[in-house]
Amino acid sequence: MTESLHYVVIGSGSAGHGAATTIRARDPGARITMITMSRLPFYNRYDLPKMFKGVTDWRDLLAEDPKIYDELGITLRRNSRVVDIDGRARTIALAHNEVIAYDKLLVCTGGGPNVPAILEDYRPLMHGFGTFEQASATVAALPPGGQVVILGGDMIGLDIAFNLLEAGYRVSLAVGEQTFWPHRVEPDERAVLLKSLAKTGLDLIEDRSVVAIEAADRPARRVHFDDGSMVETDIVMPFFGILPIVDFMLGAGIDMERGVLVDPALKSSNDAIWAAGDVCQIWSDVDRDYRFYHGWKNVRVMGELAARNMTGAEETFDTADESVIEVDGNGCIRSTFWEH
Amino acid sequence: MNELLKPVYLEEKLEEIRADGHQDYRSRSLPTWCPGCGYFSMAEGFTLALKKLGRSAEEVVVVSGIGCASRFPFFVNTYGFHTLHGRTLPVATGVKQANDALTVVAVGGDGDAFAIGGGHIPHAARRNVDITYLVFDNGIYGLTKGQTSPTSVLGFRTSTSPYENGDEPLNPLMMLLAYRASWVGQAYAGHPHHLADMIAEAIAHRGFSYLHILSPCVTFDKTTRTYRNLNMQVRDLPSGYDRTDLAAAMGEAMKVDHPALGVFYEESRPTLADVMDETARKAGLSPVPAGGE
Amino acid sequence: MNGTDVQFAICGSAGDGTIAAGDILKRTMALMGYKVIAFDIYPAEIRGFGKCISRVRVTTEQAYSLKHQSDVLMSLNDAHAIPHVGEVRDFGAVIYDNAPIARLPEGGHVSAHIRPMQLPYGVSFRSISDRATGNARGRNIVALGYLAGLYGMPAEAFHQTIANKFATKPQAVTDANVRAFEAGYEAAIGTFKLDDVVMGSPLHRADGARAVMMTGNGAVVRGLMDAGIDCYFGYPITPATTIMERLAVEMPRRGGRMLQTEDEISAIAATIGAGYAGARSATATSGPGLALMAEMLGLGVMAEVPSVVIVSQRGGPSTGMPTKTEQSDLNMAVFGGAGDARRIVLAPTNVEGCYRCAGLAFELAEKFQTPVIVLLDLYLSNRYETVIPPKENPFEPKQATGPQGPVFRRFELTESGVSPRAVPGQAGGVHTITGLEHNELGRPSDQPDNHVAMSAKRYRKLEPATRYPGLTTIKRFGAAGKVDIGILGWGSTFGEILEAMFEAENEGISCSAMKVVMLSPLPVDELEAFFADCRVVLVPELNHEGQLATLVSGTLGRPVVRLPRATGAPMRVDEILAEVRRLAAETAAAAE
Ligand SMILES: Cc1ncc(C[n+]2csc(CCOP(=O)(O)OP(=O)(O)O)c2C)c(N)n1
Ligand code: SF4
Ligand SMILES: [Mg+2]
Repeated sequence: MTESLHYVVIGSGSAGHGAATTIRARDPGARITMITMSRLPFYNRYDLPKMFKGVTDWRDLLAEDPKIYDELGITLRRNSRVVDIDGRARTIALAHNEVIAYDKLLVCTGGGPNVPAILEDYRPLMHGFGTFEQASATVAALPPGGQVVILGGDMIGLDIAFNLLEAGYRVSLAVGEQTFWPHRVEPDERAVLLKSLAKTGLDLIEDRSVVAIEAADRPARRVHFDDGSMVETDIVMPFFGILPIVDFMLGAGIDMERGVLVDPALKSSNDAIWAAGDVCQIWSDVDRDYRFYHGWKNVRVMGELAARNMTGAEETFDTADESVIEVDGNGCIRSTFWEH
Repeated sequence: MNELLKPVYLEEKLEEIRADGHQDYRSRSLPTWCPGCGYFSMAEGFTLALKKLGRSAEEVVVVSGIGCASRFPFFVNTYGFHTLHGRTLPVATGVKQANDALTVVAVGGDGDAFAIGGGHIPHAARRNVDITYLVFDNGIYGLTKGQTSPTSVLGFRTSTSPYENGDEPLNPLMMLLAYRASWVGQAYAGHPHHLADMIAEAIAHRGFSYLHILSPCVTFDKTTRTYRNLNMQVRDLPSGYDRTDLAAAMGEAMKVDHPALGVFYEESRPTLADVMDETARKAGLSPVPAGGE
Repeated sequence: MNGTDVQFAICGSAGDGTIAAGDILKRTMALMGYKVIAFDIYPAEIRGFGKCISRVRVTTEQAYSLKHQSDVLMSLNDAHAIPHVGEVRDFGAVIYDNAPIARLPEGGHVSAHIRPMQLPYGVSFRSISDRATGNARGRNIVALGYLAGLYGMPAEAFHQTIANKFATKPQAVTDANVRAFEAGYEAAIGTFKLDDVVMGSPLHRADGARAVMMTGNGAVVRGLMDAGIDCYFGYPITPATTIMERLAVEMPRRGGRMLQTEDEISAIAATIGAGYAGARSATATSGPGLALMAEMLGLGVMAEVPSVVIVSQRGGPSTGMPTKTEQSDLNMAVFGGAGDARRIVLAPTNVEGCYRCAGLAFELAEKFQTPVIVLLDLYLSNRYETVIPPKENPFEPKQATGPQGPVFRRFELTESGVSPRAVPGQAGGVHTITGLEHNELGRPSDQPDNHVAMSAKRYRKLEPATRYPGLTTIKRFGAAGKVDIGILGWGSTFGEILEAMFEAENEGISCSAMKVVMLSPLPVDELEAFFADCRVVLVPELNHEGQLATLVSGTLGRPVVRLPRATGAPMRVDEILAEVRRLAAETAAAAE
């Protein structure tokens, strides 16, 4: 009898979840462990804006019935932070001092918010939306019809902004370079897009950059700009694109740039390590460079593809797939990142 | 002259007994002992002692175990508790704990005391329970018709040692001295007046008093602990003997071939009741330790 | 159950302060006015790092047992806690240290075992304690503070309990513990609560009466004390020892006398000696000690001496499982010893019952001139419940004694079977009692007629005990009248039986439960009526054989369904429920 392989998936988002279920389907005897910092079973981050519409119990946001972990024989390790990977010994160290050995490792830790250096000190005064906990805190901090200042934008932030508007909140958007991240837009396109945005009811703050955030008493925040102006708001949310979460990989001995560098089959420079989702940069023959491919569709495709390759397939990711953002005939914004 | 060899005239004796009044302490039940049994001396000695001490019958509780000797409570007119084989001392301790004012006398045979009940003696002695323990040692199990006891001598033939007893007999006096009984004495059923005096002294002692009484079983022992043998063996304690000298007491107790009669040892120290009172005093002074509900 | 119903489990090793944390928790909950049932499990070995679990069920309405599933598990030692993660219900919480010092192999950390529906809370107890108090010893209190903060419990109430707990230590100890608690509490404030465990506010009684928390053994002590115990004799044995330890503190303060004897034989002997001399006297032991007492109990029956024997059962036979619970001494309590020796045996089912039975045992012993055994088990002895202390002492003082009539017949053959009694010191009452069969005067007698008459007297006199005022000797719960399933139980297990019965009722099963408190003499009429009302009678109990089942079915000549379980742990509600469901399905099928 051959020993069953131990597949470890770091990250339990849609890439990790899709990967684990795919591995199970292709290798019924395998041992599968998913490790995540999240304290909840798998929910879709992209569903979190539902919380503005009153869906506040995490159980209603779950993407899957948690029973499937048992059914599929997947060990879900939550609330666990990976602090180190030893690519030679094939072991993972967890922050709580536990060491786990793997045969094949898939990294899909995704990304965390990119906060510009100037705002670093104000992190405690800003609300994120990347996790259920953050989203709950955001919802809790917002009085009915309250005011939100979104700094930056980015496609995730815009999605949230639209949801906020729909839910009856007032939203100001301090636009900047990353307003349409991850789309790369030319200046002329940008003007058209901004015009369209303004029509959605967003209050655009242009040509000013934030210099400070201050805690206050009702409304709870004041945002100061470089021109000396100030905006009062209930909450401030930063959206400047996301950065891959790779700090724990530094000792793994694999090639990295901003993210984990992988070939189109999503394998890293270590034969036993794959990466998928927002954490990886994939070699693009077209661009002759490693590129990120963001967006939930890409992420899901990557997770499943990596899983197939880990279990014997030899498929490649379609790096030619282009991201597009444009204003359609009705004056609405269309993006391959999301549909609104 | 040996007391037992003196002639006794019945009418005279009865008159003397009635006039004396100590018979008030005797019950209506006649002793069921075999004629000639050494135990008759205890009924007499005990009643004489109570008379001497002036204790009223209802203040006195006789607690006994099981055996010929333990039948005793039925033959006296005090409160009595005929308990279980070997359990004389703990029951007596309970009676005394319940009511310090009672005079509690525990009675038993050698088997009751040193075989089945042997584990209780050190504790009654070390606690100095203010009771008197009268052990009638006939070196045999009388009630069950003549088996070997822990004080049976080597070579003794009984129904359970048909090929002679090979077990070294205990030395009760040494044991009691070692257990720190605060009063230890020895008497002989063949010397009833001395026995009566000794019982009275034992009861008068404040604390645990142990009186070892050599007593022939005329029915089942025709060879070893007979009146004839004992009459020749017993002796007095040496003159100038110091009853507060534990080492001397031990020395005398070791001379088993010639048992001495008299008070071997006596000391005065707090009784169990004294300790209880002291405990109550300390408890009253100290705060209630934690852990209570 | 409406309102609050939350069960916390704290698990760690003996050196982790597990029980101490549980103790502060349950006392605080009781102080706040919740109802509490709690049970701690200790390791058998004294030293070392054996497993401890403290389970605390906090409710607003009366609960009858611990729940099979806990809502929250807190691990102070993962190796011990890992097997217990499974007892946490879905959407309940597991709280643990997320920064252990030792390097762990895969699966060595408790978080590895948390099921997808349970919510993990990793906290660094150790470093929080270190920061707050300068060392890691306060980990347990940090953890407790975290738990309190997470569920929004008022910190002040905990401060008070902590201060009480360390009242005899230097103030610095209390201060350090309060700091540790606060630091843990603070950590919880910044934690996002994801489980659905909710602590509602406690209900306060209309009459303002304050509940106190007691163990079964603590309640026994209170009962004995309130009934005016004069003398206690005992020999240490788990799980009865704490009775003696507490009496050692309390009795001397009230002029009572507690003596540690050389063994159980002397304990019962002295108890009976003191009883003979007119004292209210008692002893307490466990199965092995009761076995040693058997001969003396026979003497108590024969000589008609009042005495009280508390027996807390543990796993048997022989030395068995000293720190595990079992109900396997029923046979010995009811029948143990030589001859036809009926005595009174009471088996309380909860902590309140322990108080009543212990106190009333003195009344019964005196009234019926007999030994009375109060039968607990480790689970009842050691479990905590909140009870409302009675406003007035419910127990009658000692009965007067004294000779009656011109000739005092201590064992007079009266109609009731109860004879006049005198105690040493009383003039005119001089008599001798004996373990030999005796006549009315107490003189030994082996006449056939006398033995028949005396045996009958000793049985007859106990019969009214089943209707003794103020004592629940048997009681039915749930639906009255005809039902499909009757559940008959005794002792500590009855809490689980009630919980199972109510659950089954909710499921629409026709059922009802009956507890038998007086196991000897048995309240036969009430049992007959119950059997007549039930299609099937199920008897769950913690022993291998089904001792109550045998007793009752033998006495009534009626069949029963046994559910004997002897694992060393309390009965499981779900096991009883499963059996009830099975029997309900069977009776339904049979009816068709
Ligand atoms: C528990 C128990 N075991 C055995 C007996 C039987 N038994 C009755 S008296 C006795 C021995 C009595 O010898 P001893 O104590 O020396 O008294 P004696 O009859 O010699 O006075 C025995 C073995 C009993 N009554 N109880
Ligand atoms: S058998 Fe021996 S000890 Fe018993 S009464 Fe007869 S002589 Fe005395
Ligand atoms: Mg003898």
